[in-house]
Amino acid sequence: MNELVLTLGWLGIYAPMALGAASSAIGCSIAGMASIGAMTETEGGYGRFVGVSAFPSTMVIYGIVIMFTLNRDVTPENAGGLFGIGILSGIALMYCGIWQGRACAAAINATKEKPEIFGLALAPAAIIEGFGVFAFVFALVISAGIS
Amino acid sequence: MSGQDAYIALMCSLPGSERLFVAKQPPLSRIRLERRLTALTAKDAEVLNVLEHTLSWSAYDMDVTDVQAIQRCKQALQNIPQPTLRKLFMERMELRSVVAALRLRKRGDPAPSGSFGVGRWSCHIPAHWADPTFGLDTPMPWLKEAHQLLEDEDPLGLERLLLLISHKQLKRYAARHMFDFEAVAIYVLIWNIFDRWAQSSATEAAKRFEKLAQQAMADVADIYFEGASA
Repeated sequence: MNELVLTLGWLGIYAPMALGAASSAIGCSIAGMASIGAMTETEGGYGRFVGVSAFPSTMVIYGIVIMFTLNRDVTPENAGGLFGIGILSGIALMYCGIWQGRACAAAINATKEKPEIFGLALAPAAIIEGFGVFAFVFALVISAGIS
Repeated sequence: MSGQDAYIALMCSLPGSERLFVAKQPPLSRIRLERRLTALTAKDAEVLNVLEHTLSWSAYDMDVTDVQAIQRCKQALQNIPQPTLRKLFMERMELRSVVAALRLRKRGDPAPSGSFGVGRWSCHIPAHWADPTFGLDTPMPWLKEAHQLLEDEDPLGLERLLLLISHKQLKRYAARHMFDFEAVAIYVLIWNIFDRWAQSSATEAAKRFEKLAQQAMADVADIYFEGASA
């Protein structure tokens, strides 16, 4: 039984990093495909498209920081806490990354038609980033209570 | 990549459908559109082909019968698995059924026995044949205007109204699809409307040109006759 609990603890430590990396990969590829499509249709402003398509890469950074914060000796007493915080923050980051990629793709699609709305079109992606930051910050706050 | 993100690059490589209607020159030719559509999978390309082919008037013979057209519609539906596209297709067919009924009644035909056309209103239309809008004011509020245009013998006005209604219908469905196959299919159907819209303008221009040419030729005839009499 103890082995299973310890395994879950280790899973919790690595989950934010793994799920964050997966979400950044999916999000960046979604937004990246949109920027490639937009480049074939527009005459300039390619750098902006590529820059926007890199937005979801922040999720893996949050995941790495949470992983290092959770990283400690896993004991039967702290394994449950590590598992809960790690898995749930990882899932939150994963959703944020994927949907941020879709929001970025929509922004790129809209911006290719109307370059003047570039800043405003990024607002949904920025709001999703905010949710990712919430998951990140509160994972750090809560993890301070784990022995 | 999931179905809803299947055609992100393709959709982003197409000019916005709104731009099609405001541009003086087509921002995307059929050749360029076809080239972009090579990104579709073979299965999706087949569905799009069925959809376009069944909705395109030019794909029908002049002497096609109602039974043949309905049969073709039913066959097409079997090859369209996407619920949104099926709904969209049926809605367009219902629109065509109602307009066909308007034209037949204008020609003086009696109410068809049994059902008429395809869709939800196939039995409703013959039952309300005497009603100017077949009692379909609520689901099709544009029918009154279409009826009036037909009575005024304004085919171009009617054509434009129908294109506008079809465009609104497509935009309604497009709002729920961003980067999936349905979004691509809806874009192509909007492009077809734009194409027909542009052609209807060209037809009007051709009519105007013909009228002017006839006037000019009439003047030439007068000169000729004046010369001949002198």
